[in-house]
Amino acid sequence: MDTRALLEGLRFVDSFFPSGGYAFSSGLEAAMQGGAVKDSDQLGRYVEDQLRGGMSRREVLAVKVANRAGATGVVAKAIEVDRDLEATKIGRGSRVASRQMGRQVLKVAADQLRDKPVVEAYRDAVEADRAPGHLAVSFGLTLGACGWNAQETAAAFLYQTAAGFVSAAMRLSPIGQFEGQRVLGEWLPVIDRISREVDETMPMTSWSPIQDIYAMRHGRLEWRLFRS
Amino acid sequence: MIAGSVSVPRKRKNVPAVLTEPVGRVGRLQLEYAKRDGRTIIARSHCTTPWHLLPPIYLDDTGAAYTLLVNPSGGLVGGDRLSIDMSVEEGAHVLISAPSANRVYRSEGEVSVQDITLTVGPGAVLEWLPEQTIPFAGSRFKQTIHATLAPGATILLWDAIASGRMARGERWAFATLENDIRITTASGAALVERYALDPATNLGAVGLAADWDYVASLYVVNDVVTPEVWSRLETRIGLALDEEAEHVLGGVSQPAVPGVAVKLLAKSAPDLTRILDVLWAVVRAELWSLPPVAWRKY
Repeated sequence: MDTRALLEGLRFVDSFFPSGGYAFSSGLEAAMQGGAVKDSDQLGRYVEDQLRGGMSRREVLAVKVANRAGATGVVAKAIEVDRDLEATKIGRGSRVASRQMGRQVLKVAADQLRDKPVVEAYRDAVEADRAPGHLAVSFGLTLGACGWNAQETAAAFLYQTAAGFVSAAMRLSPIGQFEGQRVLGEWLPVIDRISREVDETMPMTSWSPIQDIYAMRHGRLEWRLFRS
Repeated sequence: MIAGSVSVPRKRKNVPAVLTEPVGRVGRLQLEYAKRDGRTIIARSHCTTPWHLLPPIYLDDTGAAYTLLVNPSGGLVGGDRLSIDMSVEEGAHVLISAPSANRVYRSEGEVSVQDITLTVGPGAVLEWLPEQTIPFAGSRFKQTIHATLAPGATILLWDAIASGRMARGERWAFATLENDIRITTASGAALVERYALDPATNLGAVGLAADWDYVASLYVVNDVVTPEVWSRLETRIGLALDEEAEHVLGGVSQPAVPGVAVKLLAKSAPDLTRILDVLWAVVRAELWSLPPVAWRKY
């Protein structure tokens, strides 16, 4: 990857990017209140299980499909995988959060990447309700347009998700910054493996029943810091 | 029924052909339900071994037809391809269950396949509540359940899998398990639950869910029920799940099609049965003001 492509894409991976992700815990808050995650070791296993079982053959698959759409400028496959994601995201909280963050990415990307018409075309499809605009698709398509390949984009997506979990855990529990960095580091091998191994020609599948249930339970918490 | 053909090379008559008979059975069950004079009947049916068709039973005065799916062999072996093709015509009301769990036996290589196609007509109701699937150690199972709903149709769809034969210490020991559930409404929007478990690989591992012994889903979908009713049902199911929180881990939400979706984990079959009975009663009361149905299976 050349430096210009790296920098263009990094903006969308950086936690400084205004995706609104800080407002969502993806069910982690409910899992912590429910006692499923009490310390950093449990956090490590819980999130690794989510990345591997829940997101690899679903979100990461979508990221890779969308990345190729962004790179080639052909949006039809991205729209198709976006609709598949919508159908498989059975919990409303997760679905709404993913769409909201995805739209933020497209809004900024369409404004900033004027020389990449594929991004504007996709934003128009989302605004016309022809595609739901999930984060995995918006992110994959944008980084594909920036010149990142599918594996790099998948790794960046998983890293951003993992960092979001650590950030949420630090606000919800006594896990400190040093501990957070240790947990994040432990996930790097699985992130590397997923971004290499996921084959986007396979059907979209997902298996993370525990995390799915906690995400569904979030709306029923008596007190909550996060919106999901 | 011819399950497959055996090809023998033409010009090698002196060489004894190795007859590779196809393993497994191809069993089809086709059922068409219709409403006649206030009662739901089976208008047409066709079934091949191992399926066995029983006439519908009427458990109350609503005219709803109750059918048990009977596979006297008790399950599927490797190479079996069982299918169910069911249609419920306009205004009909059908309840489906089974007399026993669906066992999937060990297979050295061939997959056991079950394909279920459900078509629900305008204003018709299908309550699909089979017993759980028990994948034995070393089994290979692939199931699809594809339901298509006409405007105003309702489906209540339950699907549960067990970790295995727990009494024999078999837990999550199957070779592969694929499940593909899709409910499509008249608008073309869909709800999809699809997983592919192959515990020998990293990405297909069972993971943290292996602490549990039953994983189940309940979906209720209808495109004309008002959002207020779905919200009320979601709240009532949430309360019911909270009351069972010591025994089951469950969540309820609203999927991308009009309806509710429930995901459940349980550690025992009685816990699973009890929570299903509670949830089913809540759905029937909220959607149709109907009381629970007392099954007569045994």
